[in-house]
Amino acid sequence: MGSGSSPCASCKLLRRRCAKDCIFAPYFPSDDPHKFAIVHKVFGASNVSKMLQELPVQQRADAVSSLVYEANARVRDPVYGCVGAISYLQNQVSQLQMQLAVAQTEILCIQMQHHQDDSALALPTQMQHHDDDDYKPFLLPTTHNLDNISQYINFASSSNVIQDPAATVKRESLWT
Amino acid sequence: MSSGRCAACRYLRRRCTQDCILSPYFPSNNPQRFASVHRIYGASNVTKLLQRLPTHLRSEAADSLYFEAQCRLEDPVYGCVGLIFLLQQQIHSAESQLIKTQAEIAVMKSQTQHPQTQPFRAISGSNNLLLQQSDNDANLIFSNQVSSGFI
Repeated sequence: MGSGSSPCASCKLLRRRCAKDCIFAPYFPSDDPHKFAIVHKVFGASNVSKMLQELPVQQRADAVSSLVYEANARVRDPVYGCVGAISYLQNQVSQLQMQLAVAQTEILCIQMQHHQDDSALALPTQMQHHDDDDYKPFLLPTTHNLDNISQYINFASSSNVIQDPAATVKRESLWT
Repeated sequence: MSSGRCAACRYLRRRCTQDCILSPYFPSNNPQRFASVHRIYGASNVTKLLQRLPTHLRSEAADSLYFEAQCRLEDPVYGCVGLIFLLQQQIHSAESQLIKTQAEIAVMKSQTQHPQTQPFRAISGSNNLLLQQSDNDANLIFSNQVSSGFI
């Protein structure tokens, strides 16, 4: 905290006295002014303060990290922000799901071929049902978030403006 | 006057001018859209952001802001970053599954050329194992992040 020593990065930027119970001080130390500057630029100090106040203390560090991540993404890509990366990753997941389905179908075909060649347990209909139960393609789990959010995504997938989000996602870890 | 205001100006209780920058993207028939965006970003930040963009990109920007605001309201700790993390985990898991499946195909094809007696039935079991491993990895990553601290 910053009352006895130098003010935190937030109070320094906002040019105010850094109180002992400053809500920003634990998460925006004075040696990293850029961190608060970017969050303030995108969300605004008062919005960040409200958001943090609504969270239990043990969750505030992660919340700040995610806000910094989002703010950085928005500054880098003012049109799409994090949504560009989300759209790209969803496309990757879809492609992998398709490849996996193809591969699993190929295994089915090879196994059927083996059984036909053996001609010992040649029951294609039964095998089909049994194998369908076993070889489920990898599917996105239908979490609450994804169910509610998927309806908002269509605009991103239809756009051609995805400014290399792969580099964005790969270059920095989740909590840069 | 009130019938002509966009959702933003109605929310902010101000007059909606003809050149209101927010009105094309926050129509009066969807007040919740602006309310969400305002709650996370604030009207002036949204206005500044849209002003800096060329007109033909503002609609997409407003949509993405709304999306991220909704994510943040639903998950106040991680917002849409939680979704990114989930997708990265799913990609990692799917890639592992794909590599394993392709390896099994290669083995089965070689068995076709050099017949053996043991059929491959490992996929459903290994799927569960991979999923369990990816779940454990997810737990490890989260606890590491929390313990390393971002203060």
